[in-house]
Amino acid sequence: MRHAWTIAKNDLALRARDRSIFIIGLAAPLALAFIFNLVFGAGISDVGETITFDVGVANLDGGPIGEAFAGVLDSIASGGLLNVTVFDSADAARTAADEGDVGASFILPAGLSDSILGGADATIEVVGNIDAPTTTQVASSIADQFGLGVRTANLSVATAMATGVLSPQDAIAAAGETGTAPAAIEIGTVEAATRQIDSATYFVAGLSIFFLFFIAGMAVTSMLEERREGTLMRLLAAPINRKSITFGKSIASVLIGLVSMTVLVVTSTLIMGAEWGAPIGVALLVAGAVLAVVALMTFAGAFAKTAEQAGNLQSIVAVTMGMLGGTFFPITQEGFLGKLSLMTPNAWFMRGLGELAGGGISAALPAFFVLVGIAAVAGTIGLYITGKMLKP
Amino acid sequence: MTNGRVLEATELKKSFGDIHAVRGVTFHIGVGETYGLLGPNGAGKTTSISMVSGLLQRDGGEVLLDGQSMTTTTLAPKQEIGLVPQDLAIYPDLTARENLRFFGHLYSMPKAELSKRIDEVLEVVGLSDRANDRSSEYSGGMKRRLNIGIGLLHRPKLLVLDEPTVGVDPQSRNAILESVEHLSSEGMAVLYTTHYMEEAERLCDRVGIIDQGEIKAEGTRRELIELIGQRDRIRITATGVNDATLADLRGLGGVDNVSPTDGSLDMLVSDAGAALPEAMRVLAAHGSGVSSVTVEEPDLEAVFLHLTGKALRD
Repeated sequence: MRHAWTIAKNDLALRARDRSIFIIGLAAPLALAFIFNLVFGAGISDVGETITFDVGVANLDGGPIGEAFAGVLDSIASGGLLNVTVFDSADAARTAADEGDVGASFILPAGLSDSILGGADATIEVVGNIDAPTTTQVASSIADQFGLGVRTANLSVATAMATGVLSPQDAIAAAGETGTAPAAIEIGTVEAATRQIDSATYFVAGLSIFFLFFIAGMAVTSMLEERREGTLMRLLAAPINRKSITFGKSIASVLIGLVSMTVLVVTSTLIMGAEWGAPIGVALLVAGAVLAVVALMTFAGAFAKTAEQAGNLQSIVAVTMGMLGGTFFPITQEGFLGKLSLMTPNAWFMRGLGELAGGGISAALPAFFVLVGIAAVAGTIGLYITGKMLKP
Repeated sequence: MTNGRVLEATELKKSFGDIHAVRGVTFHIGVGETYGLLGPNGAGKTTSISMVSGLLQRDGGEVLLDGQSMTTTTLAPKQEIGLVPQDLAIYPDLTARENLRFFGHLYSMPKAELSKRIDEVLEVVGLSDRANDRSSEYSGGMKRRLNIGIGLLHRPKLLVLDEPTVGVDPQSRNAILESVEHLSSEGMAVLYTTHYMEEAERLCDRVGIIDQGEIKAEGTRRELIELIGQRDRIRITATGVNDATLADLRGLGGVDNVSPTDGSLDMLVSDAGAALPEAMRVLAAHGSGVSSVTVEEPDLEAVFLHLTGKALRD
C-alpha cells in the first residue's frame, strides 16, 4: 500500500508538472460549468421545481364544454405548470402563438358545446409556435385528454338519456365534470416520470459523470505510457508488489476524479444555483460514481496494447454509457432499455441524486451501494487484466 | 552470498512462441567482478538479463542473487539488483533529483539516507550542477548518466547495464565507461551487455560470448583468445641483433617463434604483456638498440568470428 501511494503521488506530480491535472481537474470542470450556465441560463432557479409553459386560449364557445375546458386550464395553471393568457379572438390567439408570445394557443370555436352535446364532431384547435415544440406537445396532450374525457362522458350521457335515467340538464353538467378531473392528473406525468431533481441539475449532473469517464481513463493510459517511455521496466524491477503499480495509478485517477467532480458540484451550485441535494449524500454518490467509473475505465482500457488504443476504447465506453445512462436525454426506466440503463454508473448516479432530492440520504444509499458494487466487480476484473499487462 | 558469488544464473531458458530466445545460458558473477555478455543484436542478451532482473518469467533454469532465488514476484532479491535498461527509463518531466527520490522511495530507502545518497549519486554521474533541472532539458549523454544513476542509487550488490552506450556520443560514452570502472573498483559486481568489443575488453574481467541464445565461450580475454589458438605479435625494430640474441629471445617463456626480417624482429608470443619486458631485457643485455616496438593482439572480435562464423555487427 505504501508503494501504491508512492506511485500515486508520482503520477499526481507528473500530472501537475505537465499541467494536465489542472486542465482536467480544474479548468475543464470550470469551463463545463460555464457552458452549463450559458446553456441553462442564469435563471435556472426559475425553472427549478416546475417547468412553466406559456399558453394562450381563445374560448369562443360560451357553453358548458368551453367552461369545463377553462376549468381544466385553471386547474393546471394553479399547479404552476401553465401560464395562461386569454385572448378575445381566434386570430389574436394564433398571432400570439406565431410570434412566440405564447408557446401554443387553444382555440375553442363558437358552438363547440352545442355540437358536442348534439352528437356532432367538434375540434379544439391547438396552434403551436415552431420554436416551442415541447409547449405545443403539452398543449396537444391537454386537448387530447380533454377530448377523450368528453367523448367518454358523451357516450355515457347518451346512453343514460336514451334509457331515461338522465335529463338533458344533468347531462350537460356531467359532461363538464368528467372533462375536468383526469386531464390534470395525466399532465402531471409529462414533467416528472423519470426525474426527480430539477431539469438543469439533471443535465449538469449527467454531463459531469460523462466528463468523469475521460478523467478516469488515465489509470490505464498512464501505465501504457510508462511502458512506452521505458519507466514501467524500472517499476517492475523494483522490489514492490506488482499490484502496487496498477493500484497506485488507480488511486491517482480516483483523486483527480474526486477533485474535478467537487469543483463541478461546487461551481454549478454557486454560479448556477444547481440543487444537487444534501452535501453528505452528494459526496457519497460522487465517491461511488468516481470509484465505479475508474473501475470501468480500467476494465475497458485493459484490452488495449497502446495508450492510443486505450483512449479510443475508453471513449467508446464513455459515450455508450452516457447514452444508455441518460446523460444526454432521460431514459425510460421501463422495458429493455430501462434494464440496460441500470447497468451504467450514469443511471445509478442520476437515480441516486433523484432519490436524494426526494427522500434524503437514506434513500440515496441503494444507488451508492450499487455504484460501489460496480466498482468492486469491474475493478477486480480490470486490475486482474491490467496485471497481465505488466510486462517490460 | 554463495561461494563469493553475487549472481548465479544456471541453464536459463526463454521462448517467445516458436522463437527460442535463450537456450540454457549459464554464468556467474563474483563480488567486485565485471562480467560482460558480448553478442550481436538479437543474441539473447536482453532476454537473459530480464530474467536475471526478475522482469521476465523464465521457462527454465535458476537465478540466484546473493543466494536468493529471483523470480518476477520475489521482492528481496530485487532489492540487491540495480537495473539500467537499454532504453532511457526516466521521467522527463521530473528533475534528476526527483527521479532519484521517486525510485529511492520504491526501494524503501530511509528519508535521511536517501537525501544523502542522491547527492552522492549525482556526484558520481556528474549531474550535481543540473540536479534541479528537468531531465527533458538534458543532453542525450546526461540522460544516459541519470539512467545509470537511478540503477545504482540503492547501493545494489549487482548493477546490470544493458548496452548503456548505444546511441551515445563519444564523450558521454567515455564518461559512462569511466563511471562503470569507478563502480567496479569500489567493489560493485557488474553485469554488462554490449555488442561493442572494445567496451567488453576495457571493462570486463570475464566475458561470455553469446549468440543465438547460447553462451559459446566464456572466460577472461586472455582465456578466450587462447581458446582459439591465436597469439600476440610483437614487432621490434632493433640494431645489433645476432644469432645469440635470437637464441636468447627464443628461449624466453611463452615465446613461440622469433623471425628476423629487414632490421626487425617478429615475435609470436602467448602474452605480449608478459613477454615484452623480458624481450627488452635480452636485447639490452646484448647491446641491441631498439628504435620502435609494435604489439598486435588478437581481439574478441576475432574470437567471436572464430566461434560463430560471423562478425559482431552482423
